[in-house]
Amino acid sequence: MKKIVVFLITILIFSACTKLEDLNKNVTDPTAVAGEALFTGAQKNLFDQMINTNVNNNIFRLFAQYWTETTYTDESNYDLVTRTIPDNHWDILYRDVLKDLDESGKIIKATAYPADGSAAGKANRLACVEILTIYTYSVLVETFGNVPYSKALDINNLAPKYDDGLTIYKDLITRLNTAIASIDPGAENLGDADNMYHGDMAQWLKFANSLKLRMALLLADLDAGYAGPLVKDAAANVIASNDDNAKIVYLGAQPNTNPIYNDLVASGRHDFVPTSVIVDAMNTLNDPRRQFYFTLVDTSSTATPALVYYGGVYGASNDFTAFSHVANAIQVPTFEGTIFDWSETEFLLAEAAARGFEVTGSAEEHYNTAIRASITYWGGTTADADTYLANPAVAYATATGDYKQKIGTQMWIALYNRGFEAWTEWRKFDWPVLVAPPDALTALPLRYTYPIEEQTLNGANYHAAAAAIGGDDVTTKLFWDKH
Amino acid sequence: MRKFTLFLALMFCIGLQVALAQRTITGKVTSAEDSTTIPGATVLVKGSAIGAITDADGKYKLTIPKDKNVIIFSYVGMNTIEVTLGEGSVYNVALSASMKELEGVVITALNIPREKKSLGYSTQEVKGDQISTIKSDNFINSLSGKVSGIQVKKTTNMGGSTNILLRGNKSLTGDNQVLFVIDGVPVNNNVTNTSTQSQGGMGYDFGNAASDINPDNIESINVLKGSAATALYGSRAGAGVIMITTKKGVTAGENRKKGIGVTLNSSVTMGFVDKSTFPTYQKDYGAGYGHYYDGPGSYWYIRDVNNDGVDEQWVVTSEDASYGARFDPNLLVYQWDAVDKASPNYMKATPWVAAKNGPITFFNNPTTYINTVTLDNASSRGSYLLSYTNYKQNGLLPNSELKKDNVLLNATWNVNDKLTASGSANYTLNKGLGRNSTGYSDNIMTSFRQWMQTNVDIQEQNHMYFDTKRNITWNWADPTVEQPIFWDNYYWTRYENYESDQRNRFLGYASLDYKILKWLDVYGRFSADTYSELQEERRAVGSIAAPFGIGNGPDGSLNRSDQSSGYLRRDITFSEYNYDLMANFNKDLTKNLNLKGVLGMNVRRTNYNRLISATNGGLGVAGLYSLQNSIGPLPLSKELKSKVGVNGIYGSVSLGYKSLIYLDGTLRRDHSSTLPVDKSKYYYPSIAGSFVFSNLVKDSKWLSFGKVRLNYAEVGAGASFDRLVDKYDIITPFNSPSVSVNGTKQNSELDPERTKSIEGGLEMSFFGRRLGFDLAMYNTNTINQIIPLAVSTATGYTYKMINAGNIENKGVELALNATPLKGKHFKWDVAINWAKNWNKVISLTEGVDNLQLGSYQGGITINARVGQPYGVIEGTDYVYLNGRKVVDATTGRYKKTTNSDNVLGNVNPDWTGGMNNTLTYRNWALSFLIDVSKGGSIFSLDMYYGLATGLYKETSYDNDLGNPVRDPIVWLDPNDHTKGYDPTSGGFINEGVNPDGSENKTRVSAANYGTFGYLRNPDKAFVYDATFVKLREISIAYNIPASVLKKCFITGITISAVASNPWIIYKKLPYADPESGLGAGNLQGYSVGSLPSTRDFTLNLKLTF
Repeated sequence: MKKIVVFLITILIFSACTKLEDLNKNVTDPTAVAGEALFTGAQKNLFDQMINTNVNNNIFRLFAQYWTETTYTDESNYDLVTRTIPDNHWDILYRDVLKDLDESGKIIKATAYPADGSAAGKANRLACVEILTIYTYSVLVETFGNVPYSKALDINNLAPKYDDGLTIYKDLITRLNTAIASIDPGAENLGDADNMYHGDMAQWLKFANSLKLRMALLLADLDAGYAGPLVKDAAANVIASNDDNAKIVYLGAQPNTNPIYNDLVASGRHDFVPTSVIVDAMNTLNDPRRQFYFTLVDTSSTATPALVYYGGVYGASNDFTAFSHVANAIQVPTFEGTIFDWSETEFLLAEAAARGFEVTGSAEEHYNTAIRASITYWGGTTADADTYLANPAVAYATATGDYKQKIGTQMWIALYNRGFEAWTEWRKFDWPVLVAPPDALTALPLRYTYPIEEQTLNGANYHAAAAAIGGDDVTTKLFWDKH
Repeated sequence: MRKFTLFLALMFCIGLQVALAQRTITGKVTSAEDSTTIPGATVLVKGSAIGAITDADGKYKLTIPKDKNVIIFSYVGMNTIEVTLGEGSVYNVALSASMKELEGVVITALNIPREKKSLGYSTQEVKGDQISTIKSDNFINSLSGKVSGIQVKKTTNMGGSTNILLRGNKSLTGDNQVLFVIDGVPVNNNVTNTSTQSQGGMGYDFGNAASDINPDNIESINVLKGSAATALYGSRAGAGVIMITTKKGVTAGENRKKGIGVTLNSSVTMGFVDKSTFPTYQKDYGAGYGHYYDGPGSYWYIRDVNNDGVDEQWVVTSEDASYGARFDPNLLVYQWDAVDKASPNYMKATPWVAAKNGPITFFNNPTTYINTVTLDNASSRGSYLLSYTNYKQNGLLPNSELKKDNVLLNATWNVNDKLTASGSANYTLNKGLGRNSTGYSDNIMTSFRQWMQTNVDIQEQNHMYFDTKRNITWNWADPTVEQPIFWDNYYWTRYENYESDQRNRFLGYASLDYKILKWLDVYGRFSADTYSELQEERRAVGSIAAPFGIGNGPDGSLNRSDQSSGYLRRDITFSEYNYDLMANFNKDLTKNLNLKGVLGMNVRRTNYNRLISATNGGLGVAGLYSLQNSIGPLPLSKELKSKVGVNGIYGSVSLGYKSLIYLDGTLRRDHSSTLPVDKSKYYYPSIAGSFVFSNLVKDSKWLSFGKVRLNYAEVGAGASFDRLVDKYDIITPFNSPSVSVNGTKQNSELDPERTKSIEGGLEMSFFGRRLGFDLAMYNTNTINQIIPLAVSTATGYTYKMINAGNIENKGVELALNATPLKGKHFKWDVAINWAKNWNKVISLTEGVDNLQLGSYQGGITINARVGQPYGVIEGTDYVYLNGRKVVDATTGRYKKTTNSDNVLGNVNPDWTGGMNNTLTYRNWALSFLIDVSKGGSIFSLDMYYGLATGLYKETSYDNDLGNPVRDPIVWLDPNDHTKGYDPTSGGFINEGVNPDGSENKTRVSAANYGTFGYLRNPDKAFVYDATFVKLREISIAYNIPASVLKKCFITGITISAVASNPWIIYKKLPYADPESGLGAGNLQGYSVGSLPSTRDFTLNLKLTF
């Protein structure tokens, strides 16, 4: 009996001495972090998503018909459902980019910075957060159309409504103006937490203005009166050299390698070959960038090799070994990832000039600079560029078609490996002519369908948005896509 | 010396008591009702431990010491009779059925034995021998069909986890698995599979921890189904409880003499693949995805691999489909085996034919050896039982095995009249090697079922691997590049890229029971369940790249990067400690009124720690599997340290009036560590009543027993670990520190969950127990559930922890027992179990009408949608017009919906049932069990892809015109399609209507891959009825009659032969077992790359002496 009393008391003591709820403490993960660390993560996630070529995440290189699939041709034929590709694109941009940027901004705002303690330093940090946020939303709008915006990123609202795409877009431009105005290139910044410019705020200004230029021009067909002044304003300080490119340099070890390396090399798979669409176009123009874009392939059936650039048939099944491959330099782990560059900026300026917007320089001058920027970026010489520009089929004065065709075609060639931007510019210019493959499930996609998750998790708003944009189909034209 | 030996032998054979014997009596025990003999009745000399057991004919022989003259005759379910001996030596006794004993005593919650008739809730008992008959790696499998309302879903994975549900899914996203309790000690039943694995991604099924329980140690199982039955266990028992009573040391009994009892139990099991659960391949076409390559028909690679200046015609080795050229034995082509110099066919062309040895030849016949030795004894001072079991299974797949060593010691010591000390120690060493990959990626079965060439001879692959120990695959990236592309040599995969795991588990308790008063005793116990587990995964240098290492998510299984070699280890430690203190009282207040009760407390502490580490970027030294052998810097490990505590106080009161009316009430208060401080304490009650109305009807000719029961119960539950405070994920630094907001929004305002249930039942038996039934009806609502609600990621999160939801489970369960025939030597018993559960999601949370439980490849989701049963399968459907499928008039293909939220089926069966027949004749016993699960749906990713790649026989047949369906479409006039098709045309016509309502007449070409599969058909086409009817087991046992063993020290020999799952009588899911799934958990209804089922045959020998 006595022993039992001892036993009983032991238990009582044991249970009385511990505050039970203290057990529920996570001792392995942080509950407070620096805003800068969130920015680093978000920036990396954004680049990875825009650059990768994983069939589950990013199939824009296929949409632009730069590459096609060899055996499993589902995505080349616009099957977005099987691998829930829109879901993955959406999830990454909202949850892994925008949410982290949002949180980063909140924490930076609340942080008291000791060194030079200036408000300008904090404003610079916040401007970077804001610009990447705007960039990301612009990608979402350009991909889907109407998307959650004003009610997004609020966990207390589980059914965020979709805002009108144009309204979002204009608001983004307004926010971009504010962000640009808040930058003080001399003040403190994100430093090495920013893998893109390492805190160089002058370059951030150029990137922000280039983004503004691009966004304004996307609205040019819809509302030239609105776009014109914005273009003029932005054009004064845009990306002006390949050093200004918005890029990050990847590292040699996974998971920080270039995602293209992961998808093409580390996977050991042979899923993609360049298409005849781009290879033939560049062959015709004797383009000096081919060696940087593709490998040569021997198409001879005799012992004498006949090395040529030879592309697969878009959307059809293609024998991997029979065609050119993606150039090796693009597949190295440390290859840089780019989301905005000089060449693209110059093409946009060329377009602005051609549209009659107020920018310094003529359409032809910018067109030439854009092509030079692209060729030298990829490793060509200025001589290569000169020769190329001398080709009547390339020269702005003599190339076929109106400015949309000229700029559209050359911009498409220059944007190789930049699937998303190429697809968007193609939707804007409607050049070059791309044709849906015979087995395609739909016509050429003009947008992504909304994620399946949105149908199941945010059904009412999904249906309203689908109705508002004219149907949740890949062929629904988005608000800015007027031609 | 010789005399001494004789003496010893004599002692063994007839027992020590002979020495003291004075006289011997004999006789026969029969039933008073029908005069049949009763074998196995106990005949005991009162005031001694001397006794005997009646033999198969009900006869006994007993030697009585000089000073004794009272004999006790007893048998379960019969009234015990005492006979005072007179002059004679023959005493025949007739025992009458006992009303009290009839219903028996069952073990209820907290290990409290109760008379079954006094219970106001439903329980169902299964005897240990019914469990241990089938020699399975997981004893849970043996419950299927034996208990009404239980749903057991055994996967075909080696050592895989078994999903076990009682009365349907109650929790939306939490654990719906039943709680296991051994001798009053809760046992952890964690499934340590990764989240990716459960969603059909790459991984292994490591089984559930309850499989450590050794079926040979089980005396009986009692299933507590409803909340009232389990209320005293508190939160964790919401899904029901399986109470296991292990064997204890016993004194004399059937086939058991006094002294140390020794039991040897040996079994060997051999399995054979059930071919109805494996693909039937077409044998007409070989490798390729269509006709777009080179050479004749564009089906080939034309390469000059041997550099002789002449091109060879090569099979398209890189293509893992069978949509290529038609087989032709006269055609000689270069195949995969012509690539490597080590091959006998190096640079030789061989006939283009279907493989002689298909994938079915890949499987071994799994063999299982189980040996158990048990020692036990008991006396008035106590008892002990010591048992050791060795288990070894060689799996279905090459290089796979499971091994277990299990030691159990149960002991009780009566210190004095008042104090009893008991203890139990159970140690299990569980080792797995080469478990099968599950899911879509890197799973050989996915190749066999979805991506393969029908021309590949598996045995040739076998020889190539064993001859060279290199990865000589059929799936070369190109004949000129000796490098695999999608699939390694299957034998390479099995022998080089194997996993292994090991779990050391200790389970035990020590308890003291002190009888303070006649009606009051106090019981204290400490129990521990602890294990450490190591899971190791390997990928050998030279393999194809596959997701490996550490990615995102808490267990690092999401978005892993492709690596072609590597090593990963998961170190898991688990411990649960329970401190129990209980006061039991049992007092007759008046002659007719009895009061029973318990007052107790329970302190529980659970710790679960996991560390996942892996190499990165490959292995530096081939064949060395260690973290320091990583080429790249080690990725961040995933570390989890969770601690959960619950302090409970409870009480229960039972009132019994005249063995007629019983009333039970319980109340428990839990204090949970996982809830906010101001909400962490919660109470929940239960009340149950039963009325034994048969006691009012005296001397009924037909009614033996009748009882109605009714109960209401509530059970509360806390959250899982760490659901209150937001956290960040640290990600691999990218030049500077890098973090991300965790995808789950935590909630610091969580309330406890609550399950409310009401249950009624009727139990009756007739004609001296020859016929009986137990009917139960229940309605359970689980409300305020703590769930990670999947939310639109536009909120910035994937999940939000909320209190929400109301799931209703209504059901009927019926257990029927009958003895249709009973003769002197012959008996036929039938037990039928049937249960139907209606499950419905009543509500989730405001503004949310769907909770996505899982998202799978193929655009399939499993959901809890308001108004629908839990677990509806959603995806794309056909487009319908007036109830008929719409076919595109131009392409002839079915139109698919663009939305993916169409309900295509649900994972819950309409009803489940089992029928067990036992026939006994003298010493023979034959039993067979038929198990039925009716309804429910299952999506097959195997058919989704496998029909597309042209593997199955459904993709090659003669069409309506008598031509091979894969032949091209031929028009009578290619320029004028209105003239129709040429009689030589291939292709087929989809049944349905064109969008204008007219009958579809457009022919679809089947000449290219995809036509029959996912590419051209909606998800709906691959959703199948999950119904099955199985002959679950047949067993035949023979007890060697005691008369034969009379002169021997062996007292009992039982030989049995058992067939487990010998026949799937009926199923709809093609080429797979509808039960085979990814493993235990809430995500069911998705079939991908499962192993075929096996028919298992066991021979068992049991010796007692």
